[in-house]
Amino acid sequence: MPSETPASVVQSLARHGYNAEREAVTLLARAPDPPEAIGAVLENISEETLRITVTDVRAVIDSAPIEDPPQEPPVEAQNTESNQATDADSPVETEGVTSKQPKRDDPTDSSAVDDAEEIDTSGNRRASDISLRSLSIANDMTGQSTGTGEYKQFVRTFRDRYERLSKLLRSRVNHRPTKAISKMPGGSEAELIGLVNDVRSTKGGHWLIELEDTTGTFPCLVTKDKNISELVNELLMDECIAVQGRLSDDAGIMFVDSLHFPDVPRTHRPSTADRHVQAALISDIHVGSQEFMAEAWHQFTDWLHSEEAQHVEYLLIAGDMVEGVGVYPNQDKELDIIDIYDQYEMFAEYLKEVPGDMEIVMIPGNHDAVRLAEPQPGFDDRLRDIMDIHDARIVSNPATVTIENVSVLMYHGVSLDEVIAELPEEKASYDESHKAMYHLLKKRHVAPQYGGRNRLAPETQDYLVIDNVPDIFHTGHVHKIGWGKYHNVLAVNSGCWQAQTDFQKSVNINPDSGYAPIVDLDTLNMTVRKFV
Amino acid sequence: MRPEDERYFGRIEDRLDEALALASEAKAQGKDPETEIEIPVARDMADRVENILGIDGVAERVRELEEQMSREEAALELVNDFVEETVGDYDSREGKIDGAVRTAVALLTEGVVAAPIEGIDRVELLKNDDGTEFVNVYYAGPIRSAGGTAQALSVLVADYARSLLGIAEYKGRDDEIERYVEEIGLYDKETGLQYSPKDKETRFIAQNMPIMLDGEATGDEEVSGYRDLERVDTNSARGGMCLVMAEGIALKAPKIQRYTRQLDEVEWPWLQDLIDGTIGKESGSEETNDGSDVDSDESESETEADEEPETGDSEGPVRAEPATKFLRDLIAGRPVFGHPSEQGGFRLRYGRARNHGFATAGVHPATMHLIDDFLATGTQIKTERPGKAAGVVPVDSIDGPTVRLANGDVRRIDDPQEALEIRNGVEKIIDIGEYLVNFGEFIENNHALVPASYVYEWWTQDMEVAGANVQAMLDDPRMDLDDPTPDEAIEWATEYDCPLHPQYTYLWHDISVDEFLALADAIDSGEIVDGILAIERTDMTQQALEHLLVEHTATADALRIPEWRLVVRSLGMTESLRKSWTKADLSDRALTWDGGANAMEAVREVAPFELRERAPTRIGNRMGRPEKSEKRDLSPAVHTLFPIREAGGNQRSVGQASRQMDDKGRRGVFDLQVGMRECPSCGDHTYKSQCPDCGDHTEPYYECDDCGIECEPDESGRVLCPRCESEISSAVWQEVSVRAEYRGALESLGEREATFDILKGVKGLTSAHKIPEPMEKGVLRSKHGVSSFKDGTVRYDMTDLPVTAVRPEELDVTVDHFKELGYETDINGDRLIHDDQLIELKVQDIVLSDGAAEHMIRIANFVDELLTDYYDLPAFYEVNGRDDLVGELVFGMAPHTSAAVVGRVVGFTAAAVGYAHPYFHAAKRRNCDGDEDCVMLLMDGLLNFSKCYLPDKRGGSMDAPLVMSSRIDPSEIDDEAHNMDIVRQYPREFYEATLRMADPGEVEELIQIGEDTLGTDEQYRGFDHTHDTTNIHMGPSLSAYKTLGSMMDKMDAQLELARKLRAVDETDVAERVIEYHFLPDLIGNLRAFSRQKTRCLDCGEKYRRMPLTEECRECGGRVNLTVHQGSVNKYMDTAIEVADRFGCREYTKQRLAILEKSLESVFEDDTNKQSGIADFM
Repeated sequence: MPSETPASVVQSLARHGYNAEREAVTLLARAPDPPEAIGAVLENISEETLRITVTDVRAVIDSAPIEDPPQEPPVEAQNTESNQATDADSPVETEGVTSKQPKRDDPTDSSAVDDAEEIDTSGNRRASDISLRSLSIANDMTGQSTGTGEYKQFVRTFRDRYERLSKLLRSRVNHRPTKAISKMPGGSEAELIGLVNDVRSTKGGHWLIELEDTTGTFPCLVTKDKNISELVNELLMDECIAVQGRLSDDAGIMFVDSLHFPDVPRTHRPSTADRHVQAALISDIHVGSQEFMAEAWHQFTDWLHSEEAQHVEYLLIAGDMVEGVGVYPNQDKELDIIDIYDQYEMFAEYLKEVPGDMEIVMIPGNHDAVRLAEPQPGFDDRLRDIMDIHDARIVSNPATVTIENVSVLMYHGVSLDEVIAELPEEKASYDESHKAMYHLLKKRHVAPQYGGRNRLAPETQDYLVIDNVPDIFHTGHVHKIGWGKYHNVLAVNSGCWQAQTDFQKSVNINPDSGYAPIVDLDTLNMTVRKFV
Repeated sequence: MRPEDERYFGRIEDRLDEALALASEAKAQGKDPETEIEIPVARDMADRVENILGIDGVAERVRELEEQMSREEAALELVNDFVEETVGDYDSREGKIDGAVRTAVALLTEGVVAAPIEGIDRVELLKNDDGTEFVNVYYAGPIRSAGGTAQALSVLVADYARSLLGIAEYKGRDDEIERYVEEIGLYDKETGLQYSPKDKETRFIAQNMPIMLDGEATGDEEVSGYRDLERVDTNSARGGMCLVMAEGIALKAPKIQRYTRQLDEVEWPWLQDLIDGTIGKESGSEETNDGSDVDSDESESETEADEEPETGDSEGPVRAEPATKFLRDLIAGRPVFGHPSEQGGFRLRYGRARNHGFATAGVHPATMHLIDDFLATGTQIKTERPGKAAGVVPVDSIDGPTVRLANGDVRRIDDPQEALEIRNGVEKIIDIGEYLVNFGEFIENNHALVPASYVYEWWTQDMEVAGANVQAMLDDPRMDLDDPTPDEAIEWATEYDCPLHPQYTYLWHDISVDEFLALADAIDSGEIVDGILAIERTDMTQQALEHLLVEHTATADALRIPEWRLVVRSLGMTESLRKSWTKADLSDRALTWDGGANAMEAVREVAPFELRERAPTRIGNRMGRPEKSEKRDLSPAVHTLFPIREAGGNQRSVGQASRQMDDKGRRGVFDLQVGMRECPSCGDHTYKSQCPDCGDHTEPYYECDDCGIECEPDESGRVLCPRCESEISSAVWQEVSVRAEYRGALESLGEREATFDILKGVKGLTSAHKIPEPMEKGVLRSKHGVSSFKDGTVRYDMTDLPVTAVRPEELDVTVDHFKELGYETDINGDRLIHDDQLIELKVQDIVLSDGAAEHMIRIANFVDELLTDYYDLPAFYEVNGRDDLVGELVFGMAPHTSAAVVGRVVGFTAAAVGYAHPYFHAAKRRNCDGDEDCVMLLMDGLLNFSKCYLPDKRGGSMDAPLVMSSRIDPSEIDDEAHNMDIVRQYPREFYEATLRMADPGEVEELIQIGEDTLGTDEQYRGFDHTHDTTNIHMGPSLSAYKTLGSMMDKMDAQLELARKLRAVDETDVAERVIEYHFLPDLIGNLRAFSRQKTRCLDCGEKYRRMPLTEECRECGGRVNLTVHQGSVNKYMDTAIEVADRFGCREYTKQRLAILEKSLESVFEDDTNKQSGIADFM
């Protein structure tokens, strides 16, 4: 609960003869101890000042006391200890750390990569040699959308899915087409790869899975006593799996003995960067929402300017830059910025706070002003012009970004809702969003289930297939932070920069707001920083 | 009961007995599934309750209890009977509670609706976490039809039974309680609730509820938070439960409390907090849930009575707060007639016309025409107050609209014919006319009275109080009190010190003080030429005259007012146009009245007589759904309930099926799933109800598939195999020759195939035993051009409207017809001589629409031929013209109910509605706010209805006549009808009470309502009205909504009308149409596109996803999408154009722009875009 209203802050400043910027007032009102903060600000500003600016206030109330993320982190991730955390109560001492407002547009001399411990007394970040950087994009379908909404294009998309995913399974089973299987003698052994067409439980508590390939469908029965019956709970419609088993006596059904997902090989060894360099993986900024946490964002970008963040050279944003318009009924009443273009303008302003020497990659999300059906192409030219900051790369959702050898599959994450809804709680939940991501990796598809919550736009190929195993899988959307490793792939679901909305409150979601996961690209170790 | 009422019911029952006798004879032949008529006659409510529930002994006990106590109390008293097993035959505790709850719901719904059988699935006992048992009541969707009070009381009854049986209270787990909160929110969002409880309220109720409320999943949408709970079977919203909790418990808390207080065993102390509204209000600052705007609307209407609206520092008039709820979900093509309380909108006039009351609104027929025919008799409007919706009735004894024509003339139009003539020249509808609402509506809706317009019927009472002998004046042939000359008006106003006659009372409250002053100045310098006042034309003077509703003509620089004397006198000027006051003479109060926007106090200070407010209350409204008068066809239509699978093609043609050859070369032979029956005489097995060999009536035959044992149904009608205990149905796959059936039917009737177009059957039967109907019935239906409903009856749907007095002439019958029907006198007690005498309608008499009459003639002919040719019995109707229908009996029946009411035809109307006595509608549990229901011909129902045809699924027995009421007992009908006022005049005290926005209860004593005569000899008569209307059908015969073609035409007309109406903000209309119709449509279709199912064009097989084979896996045919680009973007261009043309918000335009981009992105090839004409050159 805020201890001070903006009005009383203004009054209090006015009593001392000062005027103040609106944002400065907000900052003060939100300070842990506003009267104290006001006192500190008044002490520190110069005599000539009439109008107290945000900078004045920030100079006193510092950002980013780094805290532990609330979750029990998986072993791979480490908590940052607050080595440089400053004490808000002693403003004078913090000056050195916080006077990092001036934008760093000029990358300084090429200091060596391993200069990590070198302390820049001015507090400015020191970027490394830009020539060491590398960044390439794959699977970007922006401008390549050729679908015109015809039946055959849908078929082509699903066939492409089947072909590419079944390839991954061919090494494990010897696929026979369903048409051929149905003609095999009863009792024979059979192996089959297919898209899940239907899953039903039978009266006896067994599972009947209908698999489909390009020749037809075939029913496969998983009996409840089999240990693989546990896997049936994980199945989503339209994902590709392989089964092995024995045909019934009339060859009408297959009794499944084993079931395989395309999966990430356990032997997968991720690539890493050749130097110590870091990437910040964020998403769901929601500029324009009344709940957008400008303050947390400022603290984040301030931190990026700090020496501590000098190795953070890449910023990957997994969608929902803005709150959007018309995303849900009567949204206009909850918007801070009603005009969609103004929202992007404002986002661009916030993006300007990010150090100019950082490489930025963005994909759209479901709140952004692009089509909702996936794959979502990157923003159109008008929006690109607005967000023309720091030469940010704007690509489609999903897309794969390879930075200094490390491939990052970026996907906004709408399908996570479905995975969480369909799978049992212990296998996927909002509180452990990364576990839901594991399933997508296992299925090698970012949004397998058709016809439910996910929307699909037919294209020449299925852009949603995870053809190559990424080193990092980065999503957002559910506003819950979660990370962990699945067969050595680092799965990261970033939190958000939007405080709890009324809707989230009504459905019992407590978002993780103001977090920035930071990945060491040389080790794939991860640190989560909190900016609240 | 008065002897004449006895005679009336006697006549009806005599005719009913004749029909019953004949129908029994037909049924006894054994050609139908049962050998008796399947619609039992219920003498009274108790009978209906017993019949619907099928629990013996209930009726007798109910009658006993009804003598001593109220129905609600009886429902609670019956709990004891069930627990002690004096009623019902239930051994288990669950069964006892189940019986008690169902009986309570049946009793509280007068044994009419299906809720007690369909709305409660079961009662079960479950375990609390502490090991104690609790009661779980499992509701289903149809509980909706019980209404909030019965829903709430069903919970109370269950709890009472629980405590009598010593079962513990339900202790909800935290996740279950939060689940209720989320689920009710979800249900409200998806389906909508009449009352949306705040989260805190729901949580509070769930925490305190001593029994668990559970239910069937009713929708596909699932909760996202509290899923997979152990004691909740589904993740979807449980509609029945949500209704009971929100519209039952939360909304009706005060009513339940009344009964909990009477019961020692039941304590619900928490209800008090709910009633006080202290739940969810403790921390208003955090509370910003979705329902908040709903709540504010609600509280507005609750509190508006106490609020003296304040406008800045100035005083202002007493006004009701504008309410905007009716504008929600505006639909394209259904126009707004007035924004909330907006000037120029409908002016509230109190009164009840003879075709009015019971959720209807009286509108002048000239208005109906001028608003481009969008309103017709029976069209529904959504209204600002007092209720939510009303059916429109034409009333021409109220003021018509005032319009400005293209030539500048401002005229009031009181003649529908004139309205039609000038309609094309109307530039602006300055005022849409009066709007008649009866006092009873305010009681029914418990809405504070709102200030009344000053009208003739009030003025005459003011005159009397002022000392005038009004009766003598009325008798004076030289005077027309309703329409006096200016001289008379001035004389009465000054001589009697009575407020000025309403005819000359202008709408001073609708002009500002500045306009008032400008008008006075303009008149001061005006001149009288040939008796016509001419004043300077300025924007201000013109607007002032228009808003005052002073008729005038306009020239380039002058406004000419023919009837100017009372305008001038009201302005405190002499007839020689001398003004003896200046602005300085006006008080501050007058100058700042309502912030200077209202000149009422100013005019009162200068006028030499008293002036009352002419139209203080404006009522906003918009069109709801159009009126209806149509035969009910299933889709596709069905003539015979005989299954033919896919063989009949899309048309389900039996003839086609009978010719289809199978692979053995046989024609018309199919494997059909139909009921197996056994002939008791010869033991033969057949699917037919009559044994083909010996002609005996057959009975269902049950044999266990697996064990081969013949089984018998148990008491509850279930059939279990004694060996394997699986449930057995008599419906089995059998080889049936449709050809033989079809040919046989034609032969036995002596009909040829050419006598009808097509005989349509059904794909399969949905009833439990799958008993097919004799095909002869279908042949005759098709021959006579009628089709069957799922239960074997032929139905005709009409919008319900009330009428309490009629003229034979307007019903296209003669006074002799009325005499034959037993009518003796007109409303004044005079003997019946002329066709235009006004006669009070009897309670079970109904007026058919022309379309209904025509359909009834077909049905009568069908029934007659069925009797003569199929049953070999004499014809019953022998109808030649529609006159022959007069006096015939019909069944009236409403959706969601299970009881038919017998009605008698007295005449016909050109309006597309079913006019009947309000008590007749109430007996079907309908009001007249745009509801529609059906009529069936009596003999058709008796002969052709069978429960055996009803679908074997939830809601299957809804809308089926499981029982009939032969006579209406006014105390056993929906009590909403009792709130209708039945007087000839409202007293002056009433009008004055409206000015202080009194509670309607305060004046209830002054005005007799239906309730006041209940249980007396007078309960069937004396339904007086305050306003007459020339004809119960005036104005357009069909709403323009139905006559206009495409949605675009309708919307253009809607927006065009919005521009014309002064009370309507066309930008807002455009905005709302886009927001509530186009955008949801576009978004929904785009969403549907990207997750659509597909379908085989050849065999109809549906696929959840596009098959990888591309072709149909079943037949190899062509598979295609079910949602195409065309249906997705059909509104895109229009929406963008409308947004542009009407200056919609940037927000709306941007949403459209983004959607358009999305559509392009999905439907256009990026690499192959033509950006302009240059690409083609």
